[in-house]
Amino acid sequence: MSQWIDAVAADEVPQDDVIGVQVQGLDIALYGVNGEIYATDNLCTHGHARLCDGFLEGHEIECPLHQGKIDVRNGQPTCQPITEPVRTYPVMIEGGRVFLQID
Amino acid sequence: MSAQATIFPSEPKWELEGTSRIPFLTYTSEELYKRELEHFFYKGHWCYVGLEAEVPNPGDFKRTVVGERSVIMTRDADGQINVVENVCAHRGMRFCRERHGNKKGFTCPYHQWSYTLKGDLQGVPFRRGVKQADGSFQGGMPTDFKPAEHGLTKLKVATRGGVVFASFDHEVESLDDYLGPEIGQYFDRLFNGRKLTILGYNRQRIPGNWKLMQENIKDPYHPGLLHTWFVTFGLWRADNKSELVMDAKHRHAAMISTRGTGGEAGQVTSVSSFKQTMQLNDPSFLDIVQEPWWDGPTAVMTTIFPSVILQQQVNSVSTRHIQPNGHGSFDFVWTHFGFEDDSEEMTQRRLRQANLFGPAGFVSADDGEVIEFSQQAFESKPFHRALAELGGREVNEHTPHMVTETLIRGMYEYWRQVMEAPDVPAAAGAAARDCGHGTA
Repeated sequence: MSQWIDAVAADEVPQDDVIGVQVQGLDIALYGVNGEIYATDNLCTHGHARLCDGFLEGHEIECPLHQGKIDVRNGQPTCQPITEPVRTYPVMIEGGRVFLQID
Repeated sequence: MSAQATIFPSEPKWELEGTSRIPFLTYTSEELYKRELEHFFYKGHWCYVGLEAEVPNPGDFKRTVVGERSVIMTRDADGQINVVENVCAHRGMRFCRERHGNKKGFTCPYHQWSYTLKGDLQGVPFRRGVKQADGSFQGGMPTDFKPAEHGLTKLKVATRGGVVFASFDHEVESLDDYLGPEIGQYFDRLFNGRKLTILGYNRQRIPGNWKLMQENIKDPYHPGLLHTWFVTFGLWRADNKSELVMDAKHRHAAMISTRGTGGEAGQVTSVSSFKQTMQLNDPSFLDIVQEPWWDGPTAVMTTIFPSVILQQQVNSVSTRHIQPNGHGSFDFVWTHFGFEDDSEEMTQRRLRQANLFGPAGFVSADDGEVIEFSQQAFESKPFHRALAELGGREVNEHTPHMVTETLIRGMYEYWRQVMEAPDVPAAAGAAARDCGHGTA
């Protein structure tokens, strides 16, 4: 049974931007898009740069190193040179806190 | 007292009409050599880059050169062949070091600018700068920087029968027109659509002018005289049934020869290079098997100006890529290949017969040496000239024998036409012929 892990206060996740957080030793990127919050691994599967240093445009995060892009909702690459999906995590917001489901 | 140089002139002086007397200076002048690079290798001509079989899968690449410029032949995800210049759009670094490989794209190690297999700029690290705590970005490229304008230089590419040619000049005529019908038929005889298989490479650096290699394969006079091996084992003799053809512009040529059945004929035993006492340790070396596609000739040597020689010498088939690096030196890269439908026995035969060629080949070692020694003499007295008067002083487009230097005279006729042409007017030509920013 997977658990919901308390990650961060919901108002710490900026609208239309991204922050990096540590949750249970994992580097996670949290994105604020249109009032929703999404979570992915923070490490780009291509050049191993931190996605939280990248540029968020709508649902797409652009990696700061090589300008590859993924859709933050499902981790799927939308622009080369990223070809491998980035892992995503289910998000739940409750009581002003962001919870992630981490296996 | 006159200070004019007579031993070391600055311009070549052609004796007589035509091109039967070739000034040594055409082989020794750095300035002429730079003009050759510009007008033959970088403008208006197609240069050989390789065989499609060298990059069979998406992501495969091969590093080679056009003239002195490093280029990469790639096969992209769509299966298309691309040729891009190995010069990073950022700081100009020659980023690709491997000769062959398979990659999803290229990244320059200096600042990790990355490119697709088609040569498009994909990523510029910190293009938007470094993110600050407040979410703003500092530094980075100007906001009007457009990656689409900063790809690698893309060459125009054409393939025929699995052979890949490229040109920095996107205005160049079609490859088919460039080869012409006379040479095209011999091209298609060798590359008739069968898939090729790569058997291996020979590489050598020959300390001589690049044109000497073209001349060597436009000179049917020497093989039966210089090459002891050919004469002794009967692969090439002056009395073989043979013909010479050239294209309408006289820059490309084919030497077509059919080996006699007599082997060591009495007619040529007076030639001093015939060595009756020489024997093959392994007679299977001359286990020649007639192939249907030969359609008669046992040897066809085709010179495609300026960059490549296509070889069939009995069962050995290869391309020989001329890669100049200075007026007095070139790298010579042999790609030995076979055909997909070859039996294992035929592959072994082709590999055995490849021992005729390359830097240590029974036959080709001789050519590398005579080119070196010619270049040494040219350097010492560049006011002098070589003779190419065998078979007359004019150019004959078709010759039914081997005792002529007409193909060399033809090549220099073309050389003079191009090299002595008045410069293209700056206004008319500059934009169309700017070969630094190919985009197509």
